[in-house]
Amino acid sequence: MATRYDVVVIGGGHNGLTAAAYLAKAGKSVLVLEKNELLGGAAMTVERFPGFRFSAMSYVVSLLRPEIIRELELPRHGLEILPLDGTITPLDGDSLWRVNDHGRTVRELRRWSLNDAEAYEEYGRLMAEMARFIKPILSIVPPDPGKISPLEWLPLVGLAKGFRDLPQKLQTTFIQLMTMSAADFLDQWFETEPLKATMSASGIIGTFQGPRSPGTAYVLLHHYMGEIDGAFRAWGIPKGGTGGISYAIASAALAAGVEIRTEAPVARIAVKGGRATGVTLASGEEIGAGAVLSSVDSNVTFLKLLEPGTLEPEFEREVRRYKFRGSSGKVNLALDGLPELACKPGVGPWLRGAISFSPSLDYMERAYDDAKYGRYSERPYIDCIIPTLVDPSMAPPGKHIMSCFVQYAPYKLEGGATWTPELRDAFGENVIDTLEERFPDIRKRILHAYVLSPKDIEDLTGLTEGNIFQGELSLEQLFFNRPVPGWARYRTPVRDLWMCGSATHPGGGIMGAPGRIAALEFLRAKRGGRAA
Amino acid sequence: MAAAFDAIVVGGGHNGMVVASYLAKSRRKVLLLEREPEVGGILRNAELAPGFHAPGIAHTVGRLRASVVRDLKLMRHGFEPIEPDVRVFAPQAGGGALAFWKDPARTAEGLRVFHAADADGYLRFDRKVRALSSFVAYILAATPPDVKAPSIADAIGGLRLGKAFRDLGDKAGRETIRALPMAIADFVGEAFEHEGIRGALATRGVLYSNVGPWAAGSAASFLVDSAGNDGGAPGQSVVSRGGTAGLAAALRAAATSFGVEVRTGVEVVEILTRGARAAGVRTADGGTIEARAVVSAVDPKRTLRLVDPEVLGPHLVWRGENIRQPGATAKVNLALGALPSFEGGAEELLRGRIVIGHSIDHVERAKDAWKYGRVAEEPWLEATIPTLADPSLAPEGKHVMSVLFEAAPRNLRGTDWASERERVGDLAVKTLERHAPGLGELVEARQVITPEDLETEYALTGGHVYHAEHGLDQFFAWRPLNGHARYRFGIEGLYLAGSGAHPGGGITGGPGANAARAILRDLKR
Repeated sequence: MATRYDVVVIGGGHNGLTAAAYLAKAGKSVLVLEKNELLGGAAMTVERFPGFRFSAMSYVVSLLRPEIIRELELPRHGLEILPLDGTITPLDGDSLWRVNDHGRTVRELRRWSLNDAEAYEEYGRLMAEMARFIKPILSIVPPDPGKISPLEWLPLVGLAKGFRDLPQKLQTTFIQLMTMSAADFLDQWFETEPLKATMSASGIIGTFQGPRSPGTAYVLLHHYMGEIDGAFRAWGIPKGGTGGISYAIASAALAAGVEIRTEAPVARIAVKGGRATGVTLASGEEIGAGAVLSSVDSNVTFLKLLEPGTLEPEFEREVRRYKFRGSSGKVNLALDGLPELACKPGVGPWLRGAISFSPSLDYMERAYDDAKYGRYSERPYIDCIIPTLVDPSMAPPGKHIMSCFVQYAPYKLEGGATWTPELRDAFGENVIDTLEERFPDIRKRILHAYVLSPKDIEDLTGLTEGNIFQGELSLEQLFFNRPVPGWARYRTPVRDLWMCGSATHPGGGIMGAPGRIAALEFLRAKRGGRAA
Repeated sequence: MAAAFDAIVVGGGHNGMVVASYLAKSRRKVLLLEREPEVGGILRNAELAPGFHAPGIAHTVGRLRASVVRDLKLMRHGFEPIEPDVRVFAPQAGGGALAFWKDPARTAEGLRVFHAADADGYLRFDRKVRALSSFVAYILAATPPDVKAPSIADAIGGLRLGKAFRDLGDKAGRETIRALPMAIADFVGEAFEHEGIRGALATRGVLYSNVGPWAAGSAASFLVDSAGNDGGAPGQSVVSRGGTAGLAAALRAAATSFGVEVRTGVEVVEILTRGARAAGVRTADGGTIEARAVVSAVDPKRTLRLVDPEVLGPHLVWRGENIRQPGATAKVNLALGALPSFEGGAEELLRGRIVIGHSIDHVERAKDAWKYGRVAEEPWLEATIPTLADPSLAPEGKHVMSVLFEAAPRNLRGTDWASERERVGDLAVKTLERHAPGLGELVEARQVITPEDLETEYALTGGHVYHAEHGLDQFFAWRPLNGHARYRFGIEGLYLAGSGAHPGGGITGGPGANAARAILRDLKR
């Protein structure tokens, strides 16, 4: 007779591990099943070439919820986040360099526009206030708008009251952030093109939208909500790559008594009498469980892991129309030395932060236009960092790695074409060509290139269409609509089958919030408590 | 000293006349001032050649709110709507054409040749659009709540809306909330696979707008277009006898009958204030007229620019200038020697809207041009032939064709409208000719109304037909600005009653009718 667990968690990404840790801390026996050899899902570190370790996909962190860091004591389990200082936007013969030192950034902006330098301060204050207001939303279980149950809406009442009491200026800003395009929002404040373009980038990362797409301003805020050591808007990279986060959470989970099995892909979720009763592995092994928590996306959970016919056709239709639309690729480079920027030669602190290929809003929008019609961007937006300047342990002494997040690389290609290895290579070459325009010596520094198309991301992690957020962060797929309207409360139509990944509120990014909220909601339900 | 008028209405477009009529009907003394020699705004006809009358801008009137027609007795004052059986005729890229009829079953039958599954899905989609837009109609009829300090009336309104929402049922309720912020491309993409069907329907979500069908919120524009009328999936295609000017004339007659004093050829150059309160207007001839309320039916940006900026304060001036209202539409009117013949288009099929929007990509590409300040090389078009309903609009046997051209950005880069004007005309004719060979030779006269003309001749700041972009950020309780969406606009005693106010643009009379409620309440005090 096979072992039986209270809970089996499908997927060993950061959300699955977070949920498992919380459940085990509450006394449940928990097994985490990961299909890959390495834990972490999209937050994974891999030694692709001897001595060179890459955060293959997700590469920076700021959204990881501080309560998770605290409650799981992650620093004790090895989590260390190294600050990433500033963002430089290389241009023809010039650059725009913003750093965490506010005074210096404002002085730099004065070179471009007195108005923008002044507006930048006010803007920063406003966004910080805004983020403070919006943060509680990240910790609540969404209500179901179809069912007006007062209990479900309770957490929102406080929020609604908070909204009403906000000064009108903040109210207006909130409404604008929820509805405007990043470009329109920023146009109200700033006139410097590289500034607007670089700021707008945080609004489009991971989405299939351009800076002029309505709704992208919201994601600007998403990225202001990050905090490291209590400081808003600080980005960092985890020591040891993003896999470092996953390992810290895994270590906390193990300490709490979680069992973790890697190379254990789940083939089926067992359902008897409308209840999830365990899983069957690809190897044929059956594992019984009182409940199954799935941290993989809704497409995989409902359409691949459940026996066809388990779900009502209506529900299945709604699962199918949930949009993924992977839009990004990743180019990881192993370098035998540091490259130099044409516009700012030498090796200096500007290389220690983000290097953003975003000279103008038009540039960004054109990159999106290419993707809309099914082609990778001829001149993409690239968010480039050199982690070895902050964490030399990622490469052999004297060598470096460069991580390039590239947008856009649409999963769905023109005329129904598919991503082939040749196309991926061409995509990689195109990115290197783009890099070369700013780093003229980049080619002779490259030892190896590790290129990932959205198809590769899908194959590697199981993320449908390579969408790094387990589903587009568009307005109709947020909050009580994520992933299926009426099913945003981590439960599913199959009893004892729960969702706990980025496909649920509050969505993607290395945040851990879906895993934590789902686990807490699950525990509350099992205690017989009413809805939160 | 008592003011001569209870209210002065600035601007004699349809909303100006509607608000003036409602106020006068409640025995208020109302003066309406129109800059042009004729009232009507975008309803005015343009005589593009002797004997040829074409609608200046708007060409259909089926969205006019039924209660406005009733309350203002517009039929008695000469309004005569004509509704064809066909709604939309959509020539396809690869030849052939789709037809959408008033009768959904007839439409579905016709679509079967193109795509059997989509034909089956059409009835379902049409029903869904009707259900969702019936709820949206409640929103449109309501005065937006005060977000800052909801009153008891707001609570009651909220309850009524809540009830309408509950009446939709769980599923449709969730579906409405999901649909409003969607991209119209997704909304139609979920229902149909045929690119032609998707394209033709999606155009309705982006007409007059500066975004394409992939923009979030364009589904809301689509549903708003069908709300409160019999539009359903394809939208209405009602025209007015006498052209759109026929409706303008009826509105003027109604206003006059209720006692509104209409003065044309009088331009308001300033909204006068006394103690931070609107007190009257100054006209171009230097005269001043006092009133207890000033009601602006012109666009919000223009309205605020009429007020002393010191009274508004710098913050409101900044916000006002950031209202998004750059236009995307040009109008091409054609005088035709005979009825053009479209491939697969019997005369009966041409009586509604002729939509040339071949696919989502086609419409999106056309709108891409707007972003870079270019005229679309492959525009999408919506055309009507008003002479099929009312032959008196052209000399005997001849026709006029009214063509909306998208995208034509107000702000061109590296060129200007003086140079681009005729090119827009040429592109429109060329696009039509692809589906109606020989149309070019029928053209006896042509008129191109550019977005710049809309700004200078129609007084639409930014050249936006809807006064302010229909975006989610300029919607309902924050149209045109958060804190100024309840028709009380900017300062005490000043009201906004044009398309820049909720529920927005189009020939609905909605903003005028809603505004009248708020103004009457205040005038009672």
